[in-house]
Amino acid sequence: MNNPSRMIISIAKKEMTEMFRDGRFRLASGIVAVLLLASLAAGWKQYGDLKNQHETAQKAERYNWLGQTPKNPHQGAHYGVYAFKPKSQLSIVDTGVDPYIGVAVYLEAHKQNEFKFRPAQDAATSIQRFGELTAAVVLQILIPLLIILLAFSSFAGEREQGTLRQLLSLGVERSRLAAGKALGVAGALAAVLVPATLIGVLTLALTSSKGLLAVDVSRTILMIGAYGLYFLIFLSLSLAVSALSSSSRVALVVLLSFWILNGLIATRTFSDLAGFLHPTPSEVEFDTALQRDLEDTRELNARLDEIKSGLFQKYGVSKLDDLPINFRAISLQQAEELNYTKFEKHFGDVFDRFEQQNGIYQLGAAVAPLLAVRSLSMGLAGTDFAHHRDFTTAAENYRRTIVRYMNDDILVHPTKAGEEYIAGSELWKTVPEFQYEAPGPLWALSRYKTSIVLLIVWLAAAAAAVVFAARRIQA
Amino acid sequence: MLEAVNLSKSYNGTVALRDLNLQIQPGEVLCLLGANGAGKTTTINLFLNFTKPSSGLAKVKGLDVTEHPIETKRYIAYIPEQVMLYKNLTGLENLGYFTALAGHTDYGRERLLECFDQVGLAREAAQHRVATYSKGMRQKVGIAIALAKKAEALLLDEPTSGLDPKASNEFSTLIRKMSEAGVATLMATHDLFRAKESGTRVGIMKHGSLVATLHTGEVGHADLERIYLEHMHE
Repeated sequence: MNNPSRMIISIAKKEMTEMFRDGRFRLASGIVAVLLLASLAAGWKQYGDLKNQHETAQKAERYNWLGQTPKNPHQGAHYGVYAFKPKSQLSIVDTGVDPYIGVAVYLEAHKQNEFKFRPAQDAATSIQRFGELTAAVVLQILIPLLIILLAFSSFAGEREQGTLRQLLSLGVERSRLAAGKALGVAGALAAVLVPATLIGVLTLALTSSKGLLAVDVSRTILMIGAYGLYFLIFLSLSLAVSALSSSSRVALVVLLSFWILNGLIATRTFSDLAGFLHPTPSEVEFDTALQRDLEDTRELNARLDEIKSGLFQKYGVSKLDDLPINFRAISLQQAEELNYTKFEKHFGDVFDRFEQQNGIYQLGAAVAPLLAVRSLSMGLAGTDFAHHRDFTTAAENYRRTIVRYMNDDILVHPTKAGEEYIAGSELWKTVPEFQYEAPGPLWALSRYKTSIVLLIVWLAAAAAAVVFAARRIQA
Repeated sequence: MLEAVNLSKSYNGTVALRDLNLQIQPGEVLCLLGANGAGKTTTINLFLNFTKPSSGLAKVKGLDVTEHPIETKRYIAYIPEQVMLYKNLTGLENLGYFTALAGHTDYGRERLLECFDQVGLAREAAQHRVATYSKGMRQKVGIAIALAKKAEALLLDEPTSGLDPKASNEFSTLIRKMSEAGVATLMATHDLFRAKESGTRVGIMKHGSLVATLHTGEVGHADLERIYLEHMHE
């Protein structure tokens, strides 16, 4: 007769029935659902367009590389190729930092270039730049608002209407009441989110030749889990505040204040704080410092003199023209290798600072859970800085591979003064095609341990708050 | 069934209830009469454990309500001046919900409708949202909840206040029927006539104390009014 789970389900069913019959809920959830679907559709279209563009461009790059006219391999290295960062599937949900840091890099001899083609920079109007509504924004900002609107009056409203007194006179345990209400709000929310998620996944599956196999299951599940935790935090906090507040108006004001702190104040504050604590150089400062280092050839000259002496001794010659190998290749390769450390130092310093900023930002989740879920969402979508850095490293390694192939070929083709060695398509073909596989989901998660821990701490605290508040519910 | 033992309650030094002693047996209806602030609602709140006693005990079926807050509420049904229901739910849905929360999650639709029959509410009305219900209909839903949860004691706080005479009479009839079925009832009211009609005993409260208890069978309406007014003017 007194079945706790059935009682909780009864409470949840009643909560959902009331919400579905409430025009305000239908309007609010309808708007959020439309925005979510619209943002998913826009994300999907952008993903499809960019993916096709990148794949086409990458093939064209390969075609152009192979179709080079015969030339000296070093000129071939200068001819260069573009490497395009592959679009991750979950960028449909969260475009992350991609629009701001570029999607392609030009790989050529001597230089580690910066990324080009930043959608945010290319946007034609300021409205396009600031009006981008991604599914992540809906999930991170608007869904918590919907949760607040659904739950703020859960207890306070019942107290005002007098129904809470009626309920408590029945001897219903407060913990069951809180659990039922939480389940009810979660159910109403699921009515908005589950169809949107299914539509997103099915659209992806139906529009891919691989069908459901096209879906990155593990990352998708982890992302759903991260957002699930985030929503549970808001749901628990909303119920706790509602139970402890003297009126539903007070509950709403408290919760909206937290929503503003979480969604607007904390993000800006911790971005600025991270920038203040770990400042990055401007583009001009960066270029100037790098250029200064690159122009310093004293070490290169000393090293080349040493190698040259060694080679003269080894081969018993006194002129470069008499060497059985092409010394120019050694010179080029040495220059490259010396520059590697300079690039690694300068780019590494900036990248490390970005990661330090990211660390501060993640710590901000102690104040606002949004900062944790935002970091995790970008990480799982593969659109965060860590993935960008991983791709940058892969692209740079590929650049070095091209240069190495070219120099190795020059090395075994010695020339006399005034002669130039010319290579053809046979050499271009030996250079492997650029392949990039994004790291796995566990690698992505490992970058966000702070966010994961803080999200769990928030949930534990919010759940404890509900238990505490439920015990204090007064008629 | 309901018992108060030296039950007292003070709020910040102000005495709301002083050494109340009473017993209500199954089938008895004790109506508490008194002016506002006499301690009637405080007494009911103490039996509901909505407020803790400063001293003494409130017992339901021999159990201290503060020690057994959940168990004691299984035996009682509470009907306030306005039975508050969920206006977006139908009468039947409200009854089903409150019954489920009272622990009867296994009731079917027909069984719930039978409760509507018993309190004289049309089955058709059960399908309507309670936003359209009159106060009398809401009070009847309150009785239906008590019937459905098989309450052994009723706590009524001004349940007929604001009802028209016909609705008030129908309500009293239902209370009598439940009393005849063995339900113990404690009713706080201002209405002397309704107290005489519905009650087996009447208690007069003043400044937190029970100053007189009368058997309704032993006094007429006029006597009851006179005795009540005498106590009020003392």
